[in-house]
Amino acid sequence: MKHQTLISLMMLAALPALAQQPAAPSAAPPKPSVPPSYKDLKFGALRPVQIPKVEETTLPNGMKVYLLEDHELPLVRGVALIRTGNLFDPADKIGLASITGELIRSGGTPAKSGDQIDEELENIAASVESEIGESSASVSFSTLKERTAEVLATFHDILTNPAFRQDKLDLVRTQVHGSIQRRNDEAHGIAEREFVAAVYGPATPFGWRIEHATIDNITRDDVVAFYKRYYFPANIILAVHGDFNAAEMKAALEKQFVDWKATQPPVPAFPKVETQAKPGIRFATRTDVTQTSFALGHLGGVLNEKDYPALEVMADILGGGFHSRLFQKVRTQLGYAYQISSSWGANFDHPGIFEIAGSTKAASTVETLKAVYSELDRMRTQLVTEEELQSAKDTVINGFVFNFDTPSKTLNRLLTYRYFGYPDDFIFQYQKAVQQVTRADILRVARQYIDPAKFVIVAVGNPKDFHTPLTALGPVTDIDLTIPGSATSPSSTTADQSVAPAAASAPAAPAPSPDAIASGRELLARLAEALGGEAKLAAVKDMTQKADMVLDASAGGLRAAQTEIWLAPSQYREEDVLPFGKIVSYYDGANPAAGWMFTPQGLGAIPPQEQAQIAFELFRKWFPLMLSARDAGRTVTEKEGRLVIADQQGNSVEIAIDPATGLPASESYPQAGAPANKILETFTDWQETAGVKLPRRIAIMQNGKHFADLRVTGVEINKGVTAEQISKKP
Amino acid sequence: MKTVHLLLPALALAGQLAAQDLKAFEKRVTEFSLANGMHFIVLERHDAPVVSFHTYVNAGSVDDPKGNTGLAHMFEHMAFKGTESIGSTNWPAEKAAMAEIERRYDALDAERNKLAKADPAKLKKLEEALGEAVEKADSYVVPNLYPRIIEENGGVGMNASTGEDSTNFFYSFPANRAELWFYLESARFLHPVYREFYKERDVVREERRMRIESDPQGKLMEAMVSTAIAAHPYRVMPGGWASDIENLRVSEAEKFFSRHYAPGNITIAIVGDVAPARMRALAEQYFGRIAKRPLPDPVLTVEPEQDGPKRVEVASPSQPIEFVAYHRPDQHDKDDPAFDVVAGLLAGGRTSLMYTDMVRDKKISLEAGAVATFPGGKYPSLFVFYLIPGAGHTAEDNEKELDTIIAGLQKDKIDDAAMARIRTRTRASLIHQLDNNSGLAQLLAEYYVNYGDWRRLFTSIDEIDRVTADDVQRVARKYFVPTNRTVALTYQPPEPADAPAAGGAQ
Repeated sequence: MKHQTLISLMMLAALPALAQQPAAPSAAPPKPSVPPSYKDLKFGALRPVQIPKVEETTLPNGMKVYLLEDHELPLVRGVALIRTGNLFDPADKIGLASITGELIRSGGTPAKSGDQIDEELENIAASVESEIGESSASVSFSTLKERTAEVLATFHDILTNPAFRQDKLDLVRTQVHGSIQRRNDEAHGIAEREFVAAVYGPATPFGWRIEHATIDNITRDDVVAFYKRYYFPANIILAVHGDFNAAEMKAALEKQFVDWKATQPPVPAFPKVETQAKPGIRFATRTDVTQTSFALGHLGGVLNEKDYPALEVMADILGGGFHSRLFQKVRTQLGYAYQISSSWGANFDHPGIFEIAGSTKAASTVETLKAVYSELDRMRTQLVTEEELQSAKDTVINGFVFNFDTPSKTLNRLLTYRYFGYPDDFIFQYQKAVQQVTRADILRVARQYIDPAKFVIVAVGNPKDFHTPLTALGPVTDIDLTIPGSATSPSSTTADQSVAPAAASAPAAPAPSPDAIASGRELLARLAEALGGEAKLAAVKDMTQKADMVLDASAGGLRAAQTEIWLAPSQYREEDVLPFGKIVSYYDGANPAAGWMFTPQGLGAIPPQEQAQIAFELFRKWFPLMLSARDAGRTVTEKEGRLVIADQQGNSVEIAIDPATGLPASESYPQAGAPANKILETFTDWQETAGVKLPRRIAIMQNGKHFADLRVTGVEINKGVTAEQISKKP
Repeated sequence: MKTVHLLLPALALAGQLAAQDLKAFEKRVTEFSLANGMHFIVLERHDAPVVSFHTYVNAGSVDDPKGNTGLAHMFEHMAFKGTESIGSTNWPAEKAAMAEIERRYDALDAERNKLAKADPAKLKKLEEALGEAVEKADSYVVPNLYPRIIEENGGVGMNASTGEDSTNFFYSFPANRAELWFYLESARFLHPVYREFYKERDVVREERRMRIESDPQGKLMEAMVSTAIAAHPYRVMPGGWASDIENLRVSEAEKFFSRHYAPGNITIAIVGDVAPARMRALAEQYFGRIAKRPLPDPVLTVEPEQDGPKRVEVASPSQPIEFVAYHRPDQHDKDDPAFDVVAGLLAGGRTSLMYTDMVRDKKISLEAGAVATFPGGKYPSLFVFYLIPGAGHTAEDNEKELDTIIAGLQKDKIDDAAMARIRTRTRASLIHQLDNNSGLAQLLAEYYVNYGDWRRLFTSIDEIDRVTADDVQRVARKYFVPTNRTVALTYQPPEPADAPAAGGAQ
């Protein structure tokens, strides 16, 4: 069978050659033959790379900006680097930085919930993302060119004014609890995590880990405070890359960020690495795997130390690729592993980890580790060959062009260098230094910097199948994989506090403490000041506001043109022009019976629920509300940083304050006449009229879902509205 | 109303872009086939002096012979072992030593094949003899010289992959070294050598241990496909079965190569700072040497219709994971774009049905998503849902919620806004893929091989546009039915009484 197949294949292969033969005599000159060896190939000089010019500028508020035009594709991408990181997590609130990073994006802005932003961005195939890593944080965006203006605005709002909605804090907490619960699912993940923790020390910011308890300790106030401390213009560098005109982009950014003037003291240096590592072998048992995952090594170094280039070359020869010694020995010659590698692991700002990692079948665990040790020993006692050194150098030098093959690499590198305070030409210095590394240098750094006696060794696997017990390599400590606090199911019951103001239960609540009253009054005084001052607020006798209101599609998709007239102290008129007609209502708090409502069906009394709503609107009109301290019938208290104002009729509202501007960020309240519905209004685009600031955009959420948007098109104050005008029937 | 209004300009815009991109690309693409059938697609991109190469072999693990699963993957590994001249200190001597290995292996196999009647002492002797022959052959090897040449010459991103449908080899070079790629790539497919075969077989076996046996998701995935698919070779993952790998022989690999690496079964895409005329000349010079061979037959086994729900459970100490799979037709079926749209609606981004319901609102899943085509597209395959329950939630309650979502998809039509969003996303994601040489090389080759024309990369989004809410509903009703379904989930077995307490110290 076998032979027959081969023969028929050969015959078939010969057929086309025969068929082509007649054409051969008249064919073009014979094909050039193939050189016998690849060494015979001659390569021309590589065309010089074009290193793109990055434009640098500083915005008036102190934010550094880097711009790189690139017109190949109709895309614009940007990233803001913020100097902070999870190294700043408090020991009892580990996870605060990463939760803050997540919540900056998911928690939305005062004007829009995170869900609403998700939808808006996905509708136009754009993205805005935020994260906080170990020693840097970012907020980034990506968009089709034509959507740049609106995506830039969303990027700006998220970066400068995140709302940190409670429901999203609850969601991210649930998610983090879930991932803690799963952290022992994969053996490889266990090995890597335990190794890093052991090298840096499990009680240091570099080695500790998020636990159920540290997550439960984190409150919204912690998140807000973390954000406020680090997110301010002078602490941010911004890079934008793509299809735009640099001068126009600069102008757009200046305009977009002109109002962001938050300041904070300079951010302190990150904590230093003070290793508490205890060398030795640590082992965790997993009976569901056939391989042992392992990692071994100790503290590495930083990128700008003198010996870094030699160390990098050394680690590359040891375990950096197909050509490396570990790959050749452990994988190719012994067939013990698919994955085996080493890296020197230098960081920009703090020592990284020199690490050798891999995995092998359980039986060959100890044999593999022994092979690793013997290669380490060879590296520390003998010179590498000239060929090995040249190969490692050629790899760096010939591949150097790939550091410049896309414009974005140049920009990202510049941004990283600036962030960590490295010279702009660091990569060229490195390339030059690599060329000067000698065989003696490699031996010297291997001896000086690598000390197997200080190694932490972590292995995870099934010891039942080990050919040789791990104790053959030294004493073994077992790793405790118990997840603290995992016995009890983590609470996911904190949901939906977001829009349920405490004041909603005011009637049954105990009397507020004197402290809460004092700080409530102080908050209110500050708010009144931010809005223009009590005198200006008290001087408002009437206000006429025109607005466009759009209900969500899910709420009927209705649009309305709305005119509200307020006349001190207690008269209110509202006119709504709707697709099906006009509704006008008038109400006087001092004489409710005089109210009326005009609809396309005719004139009548105001139904009870609408009446409750209008009474509530009168209660929370800005001018009486901000002067509530003067009204003996109202209580003003503070609760978890928010201002709570209530009256004796059961109306109450809770106001969150934007830390950046001191203005109200949002109000939440139970819907009047339907208290089961929780309403959250968020305010943006504050503009001044007659010395008083009022929001021009209001986003309304009902029970955590976006419900409607209100865009104020005009505000007039003290235009002399009379009682007769405001109560005039249509 | 409001959302649709917002969307229209974005759609129109993205439509223009795709059309412009196709035109712009067509000007920069040169395509040709050699007399032996090997096809080339060259895309000029002169921004930087670099070039990416992608070799797409239209053969994968579906082509593994019976009893030799893992063979396509094994051959992929062998392709890095060099050539007669690259990687050997003395080719004639090495060749003779390799032939000796095969003779001794044949003798060992002959004894092993007696099964229970095999003589253990004889086996031991034969195994030792084989080991000696292997050591002898290895003494002529310059280890890993072939990949080392690539690395030393500045090659980056060098790797290969074996899937169910294809085997892919790829890396990038500085543009002045393009000819070196032609030299190296043609050499390995002109006369492959099976150097260090039996040690590399151990490495391939380790790869299976790593990806499947020591990874709870890998294990569950293997259980899912081998349960859901009864007859078609898609039922075996590219990693193969352990015992099949352990018995692979050079002769099988030779046969596999000769059949499936016929030049007409190979497509090469080149993207970067190159002159197409020069690429063509080099292609003729180097790859023209390979003789034409007949194309292999496609897999003819047709997966029979499933006639009842299936369920498989895999013991695992990990937190629960569940996959739910439904049979679907191949990538040429008229419903193929609709499946992509369904996956997008269910699992594409933060507005998707599964994310908003299961992760965001009900908070019962850490992750929940869907993959439209798994494990391959050439033949009828599976539409797969994956459910990663959150802390305190079970696979069962996640499955129940998924059922509710699917029922909703079958009952109610998707609104226009969501349909429009999918279309916009599809177009935008295409644009995002266009600025990367190696990614483009892969896409051009992949679309050419699978659909007969690389332009399909651009025109396939028009097909997504044509999918209607009715199509979505129809596909959900037709395919997401219990008789067509397989559920695979993990369960935590009770702790064994003799569990090792202090394992490492034993």
